[in-house]
Amino acid sequence: MRTPSLTSEFSAPFEFHATLTSLDDALDTLHDSIHRLRERTGGAVDDTNVMLFESALAEIGANVLTHGRLEGPADAPVEYLLRLEGHTALATFTDRGPPLHNHLTRAMPEPYSEAGRGLAIARQVLDELGYEREGEINTWRLVKRL
Amino acid sequence: MALDVQTRQTDSGVTVLAPNGRLDVAGAPMLKDAIGDAVKNGVPRLVIDMEGVSFVDSTGLGSVIAALKLVRSSKGGDLRLAAPNQQVRVVLELTTLDRVFAYYPTVEDALTDF
Repeated sequence: MRTPSLTSEFSAPFEFHATLTSLDDALDTLHDSIHRLRERTGGAVDDTNVMLFESALAEIGANVLTHGRLEGPADAPVEYLLRLEGHTALATFTDRGPPLHNHLTRAMPEPYSEAGRGLAIARQVLDELGYEREGEINTWRLVKRL
Repeated sequence: MALDVQTRQTDSGVTVLAPNGRLDVAGAPMLKDAIGDAVKNGVPRLVIDMEGVSFVDSTGLGSVIAALKLVRSSKGGDLRLAAPNQQVRVVLELTTLDRVFAYYPTVEDALTDF
């Protein structure tokens, strides 16, 4: 017997797309996308997991919108896509900034360090965190079952 | 969404800072400025009332760690966090900063014996 698709619990497939430019607006957009995801799922997913996903999303988003632009224009567009597949949230950030190296292997810094925790937090709370460089395009992929 | 920070001084000389909004990469500089102003005025005993903070990120946490180091570098200086929401508490635990910061359920609790 086939298990019914979990997506049937939701009124319609969830997909959110935005082009991010300024940091402040981009952060508002990211949090707004999670707010909409919560509205769409209407309590059918674990809210703590949504909160953890939101934390990872804000960390990676801020990273892409700041460090990823150090060598390019400060308002270079970043494409953001969030979608729900069953009970799994998938987000991608795509940009044409410089390549990033060794970011995924960073450990949590010592307690009195003032920086360097963002990627460690994201890696801890996500089921999957991926980064790839293809041609001149960087893609970050964040996955978490909610 | 900009972070807004209200500052008040208690009768016992403790400065209570109440940020309101998201304490993230965009909001952290506002808290840092408010802490800098507070520390100029005497013994830095600070309580950060987190009740109005809806969300914290690693840069926001970094600003609180910077504040902690700043106040502890003065004799008698210390910093306490009050009323963090669930997201803030979870991020403090994930980063093991719950071992560095004393945090209290309310501002009144944080002010007791401070």
